[in-house]
Amino acid sequence: MVNENEIKAYIENILRDMVGGSEEEKKPANAAVALKDEQGGNECDTGCIDDITEFDLKKQLLVPEPMNREGYLKMKEMTPARLGVWRSGPRYKTITSLRFRADHAAAQDAVFSYVPTDFVEKNGLVQIETLCKNKDEYLTRPDLGREFSKEMVEKMKKACGKPKVQLVIGDGLSSAAIEANMEDVVPAIKQGLKIYGIEIDAILFVKHCRVPAMDVIGEETNADVVCLLVGERPGLVTAESMSAYIAYKPTVDMPEARRTVISNIHRGGTPPVEAGAHIAEVIKTMLDKKASGIDLKK
Amino acid sequence: MSENMLSVGIDIGTSTTQLVLSMLTIENMASNFTVPRIVIVDKRVIYKSAIIFTPILEDNRIDMEKIESFVEQQYVAAGIQKEEIQTGAVIITGETARRENANEVLRALSGFAGDFVVATAGPDLESIIAAKGAGVHNYSQEHSTSVINIDIGGGTSNLAFIHNGEVVDTGCLDLGGRLVKVDRQTKEITYISPKIQELIEMKKLSIRLGDTATEDKLAPLIKEMVQLVKVSVGMEVHSPFYERCLTHKGLKRNQNANCISFTGGVADSIYNDYEGDPFLYGDIGILFGTAIRQSSILENFTLVRPDETIRATVVGAGSHTTEISGSTITYTGDFFPIKNIPVLKLASDEERLAPEEFGERIKEKLEWFKVDGRLEHVAIALRGKHSPTFKEIEKLGTGLALGLAELMSKESPIIIITEEDIGKVLGQTLFSQTGNEEKVICLDGIKVENGDYIDIGKPIADGKVLPVVIKTLVFH
Repeated sequence: MVNENEIKAYIENILRDMVGGSEEEKKPANAAVALKDEQGGNECDTGCIDDITEFDLKKQLLVPEPMNREGYLKMKEMTPARLGVWRSGPRYKTITSLRFRADHAAAQDAVFSYVPTDFVEKNGLVQIETLCKNKDEYLTRPDLGREFSKEMVEKMKKACGKPKVQLVIGDGLSSAAIEANMEDVVPAIKQGLKIYGIEIDAILFVKHCRVPAMDVIGEETNADVVCLLVGERPGLVTAESMSAYIAYKPTVDMPEARRTVISNIHRGGTPPVEAGAHIAEVIKTMLDKKASGIDLKK
Repeated sequence: MSENMLSVGIDIGTSTTQLVLSMLTIENMASNFTVPRIVIVDKRVIYKSAIIFTPILEDNRIDMEKIESFVEQQYVAAGIQKEEIQTGAVIITGETARRENANEVLRALSGFAGDFVVATAGPDLESIIAAKGAGVHNYSQEHSTSVINIDIGGGTSNLAFIHNGEVVDTGCLDLGGRLVKVDRQTKEITYISPKIQELIEMKKLSIRLGDTATEDKLAPLIKEMVQLVKVSVGMEVHSPFYERCLTHKGLKRNQNANCISFTGGVADSIYNDYEGDPFLYGDIGILFGTAIRQSSILENFTLVRPDETIRATVVGAGSHTTEISGSTITYTGDFFPIKNIPVLKLASDEERLAPEEFGERIKEKLEWFKVDGRLEHVAIALRGKHSPTFKEIEKLGTGLALGLAELMSKESPIIIITEEDIGKVLGQTLFSQTGNEEKVICLDGIKVENGDYIDIGKPIADGKVLPVVIKTLVFH
């Protein structure tokens, strides 16, 4: 039988060739794929490989002999685009293909997965849902994602009372975005509003939520301002980006121009806590000026 | 939507005094659908004054009145009212910074020149301002290279080491073109600075006050001066006199630059061949510049031609001192402009301490800023964590509130400065934890160090951002 270490060295060599690292470059990008020896025995069964999505793409330069490595990395620092991925013949390198697929899978998961019930309960949210019965219907029937059944409207009205500002969380197209950001954005909004003397009571969670669902909530609760935090359509850069759609006295079928949007809320964009503080101020401005969206800029 | 800010720069140097007016353009670069991001998008010099000799009184003090009338005349010539000036800096440099009334003149003049024109002084800041005023940082960035810029003025030479657009090190030597003065008519040597006198004695050169200056007579001294420049850029090993010659510190030895550039009055005779009377300006500047031009320094480095030479410092003071805070910040009340606030920068590991401990650290460090047991106004600076959780912000807020209790009880506002984008939420956290809503200013996107001072101007861009000048105030 072949010695364990030999197998390990053999696999490492193959992997190193696959990811194309030169000798001087045993950096995390390549090391990330190395096998881990946990308890000996058959490594193929018990070993695990590192999560390839952990590595920061902005720091990964696969060009073997760049004229100016430092300059290249500096350029990469400015953009999430996959620059400097090099190639194998006419194709991507294995590590690039794998990472691309992994990021794509994360984006798909973000769309098709649900925000766990535990999460909704732990944060004391009042859960309601639109007319969509499942994710397929949610994706194919945007019209249903903005309507509620009579029972849901009753539940919403009972929970909310007569709010000045109604905060709503919607899964939208990324449940991952809600799980990643909500717990930092919401307390920042609440704290900010409290300074202005505005209290937030019940917070709604809308399953299968499209943005105009907030208009129904506005009409039914008579809130002066409705603020919807909703998961953005995920991309390959991040699946965790969230937006805030905020409107002064929203009504069903109102022009989209009456919504104020703050997008790109995630770790790599606008930090969630800072976004929350900013949202609180935007809400305050809306209450003062009795307007939102384009009207607010007049 | 863009907005313009008129900025003034005034440089009171060893030999010359100058003024420029710059137009800074600020713009919101973010889309309508994200939080605002307001930045300076353009810096344009719109007026350059004549260059005058720095007026000095009989008793070696700076002639304040003459400088004030110079500034007034330039404003008239440029066709602007003092009230239109929104920002800017007066910098007092070289030997002038050592004069008895330097501090007094600087403060009076900054007030005289405009409402938010700040007073600055200090060899490190001078080096940075000169390099940026000459556009050397842009060259370094565009060419992904490192450049040493030497601003050789009348009394001092300011060195800046710039790597990929960032100033990474600074130094300063007491070496300049006006350390020996020569009568323009009689060619008699009328002044030798004390340090040059030391050098002359050490090297046993036959140069004395009252001697008639010729190129040949001064050549050995000029050679020694060039030698010192070589040491300063790492071409030669240290000499004891080099140490004597340092204003406060030189460049670190372990870094190699590819390029070199020169600014300041002496630079003109480095870049241009000069023929004619070498004592045209009544000093040794032309000889010094010519000698550098002919030395091996230019073989050792690629010579870069800066955008400005003699005007580098003044353009830097006018165009490159004002920064814009982050666009999501907290402030209330109208306290602006706030001037000359010393900075207490806390270490990154201190930020991570438990709130009680963090508060204690702040209290201890605030003791440093007490004068006769009274606490002066201090700005607290932190790095801050990138995208922290709300709990982490609360913890930070609690620590700050504990540590700043003494400052809170004062009339003036609390000033917090962070590098990471957390200014708004941290400010709001301090509000809600202290109940002190009127007096918190919390800025982000600003990097400062211990020893810096901060000035904060009136809000701009619909009140979203504050103009800020980070500076030093060092008189020798």
